[in-house]
Amino acid sequence: MEQDFSATFVPRQQIQLTIDGKRVVIDGARGETTTIFEAAQKNGIVIPTLCHQQNEKPVGVCRLCVVDIGQRVYAASCVRLIEPGMQVKTSTEDIQGVRRTLLQLLMADHPSPCARQKLSGDCELERLAAQTGLSGSPFAPRAVPRGQDDSSLAISVNHEACILCDRCIRGCNEIRNNFVLARRGKGYQAGIAFDNNLPMGLSSCVSCGECMVSCPTGALTNKKTVDTNLGSGDPISLGDLQKVDVFRGVSGTFLNLNSNAVRRRTYKAGEVICKEGDYGSTAFYILEGKAEVFLSSPLAHVNTKGGKGFFSKLKTILEPSDRSPSTGPEKAYIPIDAPVDLPYNNRLAALEPGDLFGEMTCMNYYPRSATVRATTDCVVLEMLRNVLDMMRRNRSFRARIEQKYRQRALESHLRGIPIFSSVTPDFIANLRDRVELRQYSPGQMICRQGDPSHSFFLIRIGFVKVTETHPGGDLVLAYLGRGGFFGELSLLGGGVRTANCIALDHVEAVRIPVEDFNAMLERFPEVRRGLESVARERTLENRQRFMQIQSVPVDSFLSQGLMEAQSLLVLDLDKCTRCDQCVRACADAHDGVSRLIRDGLRLDHYLVATSCRQCKDPLCMVGCPVGAIRRRNSLEITIEDWCIGCGLCANNCPYGNINMQPIQVAVNDPARPGQKIAQVTTKATACNLCPDHDEPNCVYACPHDAAHRVNPRDFFAQLGKPTSKGYRP
Amino acid sequence: MIIDRSHRGWLIGSLLLLALGGVLYVPYVLFSVTGVSGGSVAGLIYAGVGSAMMLFAGLLGFRRRHRIWRIGRATWWMRGHLWLGFLSFPFILFHAGFQLGNGPLTRVLMVLFLVVFISGIIGAVLQHFMPKVMTERVPMETVFDQIDRILDQLADEAEHIVSDINRALEQEIDREEVAEPLQAPGKTGKAGLATAPDERVSSKMTAFFKSQMKPYLVSRRNRKQLLADPVRAAAAIQQLKVLVPQSLWPKFDDLENICEEKRQLERQRQLHRILHGWLLFHVPASYALLLLGAVHAVMALRY
Repeated sequence: MEQDFSATFVPRQQIQLTIDGKRVVIDGARGETTTIFEAAQKNGIVIPTLCHQQNEKPVGVCRLCVVDIGQRVYAASCVRLIEPGMQVKTSTEDIQGVRRTLLQLLMADHPSPCARQKLSGDCELERLAAQTGLSGSPFAPRAVPRGQDDSSLAISVNHEACILCDRCIRGCNEIRNNFVLARRGKGYQAGIAFDNNLPMGLSSCVSCGECMVSCPTGALTNKKTVDTNLGSGDPISLGDLQKVDVFRGVSGTFLNLNSNAVRRRTYKAGEVICKEGDYGSTAFYILEGKAEVFLSSPLAHVNTKGGKGFFSKLKTILEPSDRSPSTGPEKAYIPIDAPVDLPYNNRLAALEPGDLFGEMTCMNYYPRSATVRATTDCVVLEMLRNVLDMMRRNRSFRARIEQKYRQRALESHLRGIPIFSSVTPDFIANLRDRVELRQYSPGQMICRQGDPSHSFFLIRIGFVKVTETHPGGDLVLAYLGRGGFFGELSLLGGGVRTANCIALDHVEAVRIPVEDFNAMLERFPEVRRGLESVARERTLENRQRFMQIQSVPVDSFLSQGLMEAQSLLVLDLDKCTRCDQCVRACADAHDGVSRLIRDGLRLDHYLVATSCRQCKDPLCMVGCPVGAIRRRNSLEITIEDWCIGCGLCANNCPYGNINMQPIQVAVNDPARPGQKIAQVTTKATACNLCPDHDEPNCVYACPHDAAHRVNPRDFFAQLGKPTSKGYRP
Repeated sequence: MIIDRSHRGWLIGSLLLLALGGVLYVPYVLFSVTGVSGGSVAGLIYAGVGSAMMLFAGLLGFRRRHRIWRIGRATWWMRGHLWLGFLSFPFILFHAGFQLGNGPLTRVLMVLFLVVFISGIIGAVLQHFMPKVMTERVPMETVFDQIDRILDQLADEAEHIVSDINRALEQEIDREEVAEPLQAPGKTGKAGLATAPDERVSSKMTAFFKSQMKPYLVSRRNRKQLLADPVRAAAAIQQLKVLVPQSLWPKFDDLENICEEKRQLERQRQLHRILHGWLLFHVPASYALLLLGAVHAVMALRY
């Protein structure tokens, strides 16, 4: 019998109200900040507005969105929060009359048709007026004109068309943080102003265009097209762009300004659209045709040699080690920059019309994570970041992207989280439709340490930095990319966040509310047990780390980033005879390529060799397009065998400790089926502390007891206090 | 390897073994009917023990070659090499009855043994202080195998610096030529300098680089060269430095640093050779000793 989980998911608190006779239920936690406008929109009820725009804080200026909530005065739905039992009427005769009057008043001063209406036909005021059946206004226009400002090279300001909605001000301040625009004057003298009422061209305006894109009328319009050039490809006209359904709702002024920032490209079947590892700055949207996305880099890994012969096996029998040998990657899917992730065992997936890929490359300039090739003749739109940014702000486009993500990738992401691995498919299917996707800007705090916890997050795109605040500063715990997750422990441990999570770049995350999470824990007790075990381990680690940090004079070794290190290869130069046995041992263990250089920073009579430091703040992990460089639940940084060799981690490492190593692999020979051919592929390599052994090979092979892998805090704290066994950690 | 407190166990064990060997040797000498002989039972036992110790010491080479085999830490093998290698000497002396032996083979063996033993002692002693000397006297130390490459880079860098100086001097000359008519006669172009920069300075720089600096940087045998001596080098560079505008003096400091780095790298080469040079005797002599020792054992036992 199919189990119905819907009852399981009834939130403990919910807000019920009625809008135009329709019962609307809003989730408890979300309901506290949901306006009537948002509640109506979620339930398909359209309320007209001019001053309210998605992504901007509502201000209730235009009053077009007023609704009847049974009180003495009508409420502006864009700012009024919902309350339990509220009875809302959005389009009674009285309200329609009010809106009509407001539109007539606004149209009285509006130079119809305004510049925007002429340019792109989408002036919001004139559109609303037309919908209401207004062709003019019975009211007299103002006697004193407000004037125009053509001082800016890029944007034309027509104060006559301004309806004082403040969208430009909010766009400039809230979205772009430029703080150029503000209101000036009072009453009939009120208007928008740049800096201290300077002409726009003389102000500190940077011509980003955000005000113009936000403006609903022709008050701010572009004077010229931005001179971007995507190179080859067919230009696409404004009219054609507006016909593409993902661009419906995007400001025509904006599209006209950026017409060269988006190109139509056609690819024949078999042609490569983009190649993994290449750097780029564009995203692609498939209009027609199908494509396949795959990783062409063969899976390859430089295994740490040594310890697999007779003596080691004998040693293992005589002294069983606590360390279990590495058994392969934990992930079943490889995260890529596309609507779907690639299964580890078959790194190929299909893309269809309506799919967007290359978002991370376009928004954050990371290397391409996979190769995309047309399987049939394809027509795609290639766009620059500003166009993609605008599309992502478009609600219908985002809804479409979210839907694709839910259908094609969310389940694999959820399954990739250990705590969800034993959950039944029906539960996952239900959860899939209930989760919310949220966007975060670079630097935005997603959750703060110590704050109450209401949700669990799963990352769709972007990178999140997880830090812990201590008296001496913030300690970076991890960088999480696509498929990464956070927040589960705080939900378990009393609902307080244990770390700060900050968006490093443009992040989209799946938010699973606490109610659904708790429902899962109640339904699947083994999940709770697993989570409690992880929580205990992590609490103990955090406590030990905190005590270590407190006990060390941090000013002793701040130079060269040693404080960031968790494991240093230190050579005692008073003992080291410079025999290079350590370097040769490392090379012997790794196909002849050493992962350490016996040179580097010197402190007293110690040399800090150039070798991976397992940094607390692993900058190398940021931006990996396929999530190949990561930390498993241990200290060492691991580079998985699906690394595509883009070299970003090597560039990111500030200490030059990651090298790109050519590796020979045997791949199928396309010219001779059934035969193999040698191919050289490049993979990133870094010291991983030889995890299959108790001691790294370099330390093991040093005949003079000069080489040691140490925890820098312990080591430098004990400097000058040698023990009989040296400085072994 | 530095013999420190961590060798206590080995020291005590070795002393005990030596004491035991010595204690057993006394009655062997006193009560031996045929006299002390390498072929006697006691002599053979001493030979066996001494040979086993030498063999173990010789296996260090095998351990070093198979660096990643998990057959014991290299440190432990090195300690064993030191102490057992040291102990093998008195045991072989006990075996030989403190004599060189009758035939040429035994005499050669003893000589080889002495060479190995003494070179080993020298090596151990060198390893006690030479690393520290290198650390103190070569702050700009690099990887030994990279020294030649670094020196090539230094030569290139010096060439670029000299080119920059010459270019700057030419620009200065051009500026002086433009400004000359505006100056009062007799005034120098810059306050505090003996002479204004002219083309002769530029050619002096180039000549200095070609005749002194580049040969010094690229050659290996250079003790007698001007720049090999820090005092003479500083004086030579200073003589050029005072001829140019003050703005260029940091570049001359860079040239001095390059010369200093070259001196240090050559010093590193020297010290490295001292630290490792004894191995040229020790290793071949050890292999020869083990080989001839095996021949001696076969010959002595069979014939």
